Amino acid sequence: MGPVETPPRRAEELAVIGKRLPKVDAWGKVIGETKYADDLILPRMAHARLLRARHPHARIKAIDTSRARALPGVLAVITGADFPPVKFGILPVSQDEEALSTEKVRYVGDAVAAVAAVDEETAERATELIEVEYEPLPPIMSIEEALAEGTVRIQEYGDGPNIHKLVSLEFGDVEEGFREADLIREDLFYFEGSNHLPMEQHAAVARWDPDGKLTLWSSTQTPHYVHRTLAKVLELPMSHVRVIATPVGGGFGGKSDPFSHELVVARLAQLTGRPVKCTLTREEVFYAHRGRHPVLMWVKTGVTRDGTIQAMHFRSILDGGAYGSYGVASTFYTGALQTVTYKVPRYKFEGCRVFTNKPPCGPKRGHGTPQPRYAIEVHLDKIAEALGLDPAEMRRRQVVEPFSKTANHLTITTCGLEECIDRVVEASGWREKHRRLPPGRGVGFAASSYITGAGLAIYWNEMPHTGVIVKIDRGGGVAAFCGSIDIGQGSDSVLASVVAEVLGILPEDIRVVTADTDLTPVDLGSYSSRVTLMMGNAAKEAAEKLRGLLLDAAAKKLEVSPAGLVARGRRVYLRDDPERGMSFAEAAQLAEAAYGTLAAAGSYRPPRRGGKFKGAGVGPTPAYSYTACVAEVAVDPETGEVRPLEIWIAHDGGRALNPLLVEGQVEGSVYMGLGEALMEEQIFRKGLHKIPSMLEYKSPTTLETPEIRTILVETNDPEGPFGAKEAGQVPLLPLIPAIANAVYDAVGVRVDEIPITPEKVLKGLDQKGKGQEPRVGPERFPRVSFPEPIRVESAFGQPADLSLKRE
Amino acid sequence: MKPAPFAYAAPRSVEEVVALLAEHGDQAKLLAGGQSLVPMLNFRLARPEVLIDLNRVPGLDGIRLDGGLLRIGAMTRQSTLERHAEVLARCPLLPAALHFIGHPPIRHRGTVGGSLAHADPAAELPAVLACLGGEVVAQSRRGERVIPAAELFVGLMTTALQPDEVMTEVRMRLPAPGAGWAVLEVARRHGDFALVGVVALLELGGEGAIREARLALFSVGPTPVRARAAEEALAGRRPTAEEFQRAAALVEEALDPDSDLHASAEYRREVGGVLARRALTQALARIPGREAR
Repeated sequence: MGPVETPPRRAEELAVIGKRLPKVDAWGKVIGETKYADDLILPRMAHARLLRARHPHARIKAIDTSRARALPGVLAVITGADFPPVKFGILPVSQDEEALSTEKVRYVGDAVAAVAAVDEETAERATELIEVEYEPLPPIMSIEEALAEGTVRIQEYGDGPNIHKLVSLEFGDVEEGFREADLIREDLFYFEGSNHLPMEQHAAVARWDPDGKLTLWSSTQTPHYVHRTLAKVLELPMSHVRVIATPVGGGFGGKSDPFSHELVVARLAQLTGRPVKCTLTREEVFYAHRGRHPVLMWVKTGVTRDGTIQAMHFRSILDGGAYGSYGVASTFYTGALQTVTYKVPRYKFEGCRVFTNKPPCGPKRGHGTPQPRYAIEVHLDKIAEALGLDPAEMRRRQVVEPFSKTANHLTITTCGLEECIDRVVEASGWREKHRRLPPGRGVGFAASSYITGAGLAIYWNEMPHTGVIVKIDRGGGVAAFCGSIDIGQGSDSVLASVVAEVLGILPEDIRVVTADTDLTPVDLGSYSSRVTLMMGNAAKEAAEKLRGLLLDAAAKKLEVSPAGLVARGRRVYLRDDPERGMSFAEAAQLAEAAYGTLAAAGSYRPPRRGGKFKGAGVGPTPAYSYTACVAEVAVDPETGEVRPLEIWIAHDGGRALNPLLVEGQVEGSVYMGLGEALMEEQIFRKGLHKIPSMLEYKSPTTLETPEIRTILVETNDPEGPFGAKEAGQVPLLPLIPAIANAVYDAVGVRVDEIPITPEKVLKGLDQKGKGQEPRVGPERFPRVSFPEPIRVESAFGQPADLSLKRE
Repeated sequence: MKPAPFAYAAPRSVEEVVALLAEHGDQAKLLAGGQSLVPMLNFRLARPEVLIDLNRVPGLDGIRLDGGLLRIGAMTRQSTLERHAEVLARCPLLPAALHFIGHPPIRHRGTVGGSLAHADPAAELPAVLACLGGEVVAQSRRGERVIPAAELFVGLMTTALQPDEVMTEVRMRLPAPGAGWAVLEVARRHGDFALVGVVALLELGGEGAIREARLALFSVGPTPVRARAAEEALAGRRPTAEEFQRAAALVEEALDPDSDLHASAEYRREVGGVLARRALTQALARIPGREAR
């Protein structure tokens, strides 16, 4: 039996999809019953603590653990020497991390030793008894220092002494484009880094079974990659390692790497013969980090008199922190998606990531794209002003063409951005407000795009990116198995909803079994907004196979053609005679009797539609999502305080499988974006993170969050399950520049540096008062020896080739 | 991680408290509402050997208006004071200042004496005490003594209280009837510690001239700062926008704040002046008969 293709269905024919349903895991969370990693308590479990470096950069000369070992209650003390000499890292090109540092520490917080003890307090005291002799090395704490330093190196690899990665790509001849421009503008921007600040701190528990197999429970967004790393670093066959991702209490990208503590609990559990747990403190979460890269940016755009972009040249320098992490991908992402929002016929990108002695940066919601989006949307605002154009209208006129290619060979499918722009302009009263509000009040506009899942896996392979198994038992119970992990975004609900829709039952009839490498097919993880589309497509395929069997068996019994049957409302019945039919459970029993055990698998691999040049791997996706945003703010001209008053945000995420969840993602993005726009930053002094706590690290609360008017613009994308695209990341992107542009509209000050603090606003106002340029931001872009660009013909305007399917 | 281990004592009387303090001295910490101490314990910035819990000691809370004096038991919860009808009527400045302290759950737990004894330079209550004037009562095995408000705050998070003393009562001088007042602050978020703040009191004389102006600024130095030069310059003058502007300039001139991670000295000085001017303006508007001007 082959799968029965689901005919395209109208919204009103859908029973589950498109309905505002509560999350399937909501009740457990609301009543506090959900078991997070730190809630796990196993018999005889020991507790681990890590000893972390207090030097930003130092050679380890000696480690004496004898006093720690002698402390009563201590079960094991380990250092890097207790691991095989194997380095790891999330990307194959950046294998630069150790479970525990052996030769050097590279930031305050780098782990050097670990203790397992009968309780956490004893473990903590034991770490204080470990003596490490360091030879301090000069710390490198900024982009400028990293570029200037030629002798002292943080890492021994990369494209320069402290340069991790250099990228240079040119699509079409940008100089030619600049020659055709009436106006050429250059701007500099800086975006400070930030932490994800998940509510749940990272935690992991490891247990070895008597048969020599390891189980790790961890709050991770990427159980499959943790699985690979554990096997590699501990030198075990993958078949002897089981990783179970526990419900994640907020990820946002911060739990997407394999971490030191996960490897440490595994090793300590092996040595002590006991289960071992380690829960990071909030301070340690700031050290584990992998947060937003600080990025310095330069952008040059040539436009004609009506604002039409002729060419764009963009440069970024990322402050990567001490390790590679996702940094190579982050670097490409600061350049790759510039072409996906508006038409950019010729485009040049030069990117650079440096190492510094700070916690490693990585992916945070929007991964590498909020920084350039901020830069470009403010840059375009300045261009619109220079040309005397309405900034929203100027952008609307050059939204990318649906089903076309970009200069850098990315394939766009559906695009609802024009409608998004129209809707927020209308809802916010943009035309009546922009440049017309009284002093101290302003509105700002911005738009954005983002991928629906990375087109390539993190390691090269030909296998699917996700798989789903659906099983039906004799009572009509349905279980769906997938490696995906719900990090609060609602992937469990999406899995249940898609299967329920296809089988004609309800989400609550389905048990979802997820993120267990022994039980579930691989899903690459909850990152890059990939799960709804990829897992959804796999789930649909698996469920359709089973529905085919059910309809077939039911048709035989009813003596009709299966094509005349529908599965809906927990029944299988004749479309034209709904009274004639049977219960879902009865259909399942007939199908099992006819075809044997009812289980089917579906899997998904994205289409290969990227370009053929080196670096083409970052940017492609099955479909891009779009958002437009208008922010209204009040600015106190004497204190510099910025108060967001109202946010209008329209989002094209394809068909909203569950509008409630999509709106939740939009609102969460707005809230997170507000924090980045106005207050969140990492502050280092003498190599030390000065505010690694929720008390000192400022992030907004509900009280700082204004009214958010969410508008869903639904396209029906051919790539997504039931037409769905992404929702979790793109709405964050326009919020930040919209706030920056609104501040300018309110008080005439350009803060070209995120976050927009009261102090910066006031500085700009003081400059304005003195007749100086009312701008606060970076003044220069350091010299970087970018290589000659890889020159590729621009694919701008070519039609999308959707025949390049998944196989 | 949570606090480092400590011994815990729950005395049932002030006598027991002072006996424990006499025994443990600066190895002990007094636990009042715990809204500052517990975070410090959790961060392990404070590692006392003994925690002396004041929450079971009877008689340490209560609010009384005693002539021109507002007498507040040191363990009185901030929310109790904030909602006290007579306090609202006679000294509305105080509830307004309390409203800036954290969030409702924090004020339900946090105490008046605890905040004063903690003496955070960015906290509101020390500035209120500095503005209103008054005193606090401290007890030890050596007896009871009264510390005038002006002498209580001696440095960054340091008070004149000795390690063997417990604060039992706070006495604040009630403003004259009809006095105008304002409490303003700039903070990064609702409920955050102020980047800079001001408590202002304004009293007019018979001719409509300023009898007395008091300005206490906070988060601009290690202790609350009275803007004496501005206060003196205002005394006897007509309450005009120009005078307030001049006073604000004097405030700005007199302030010598430090830079920290959340705001620079320059920002604090400039905004200190702005808030002083706004506070005087607001205070004037609150004086009966002056609303419309």
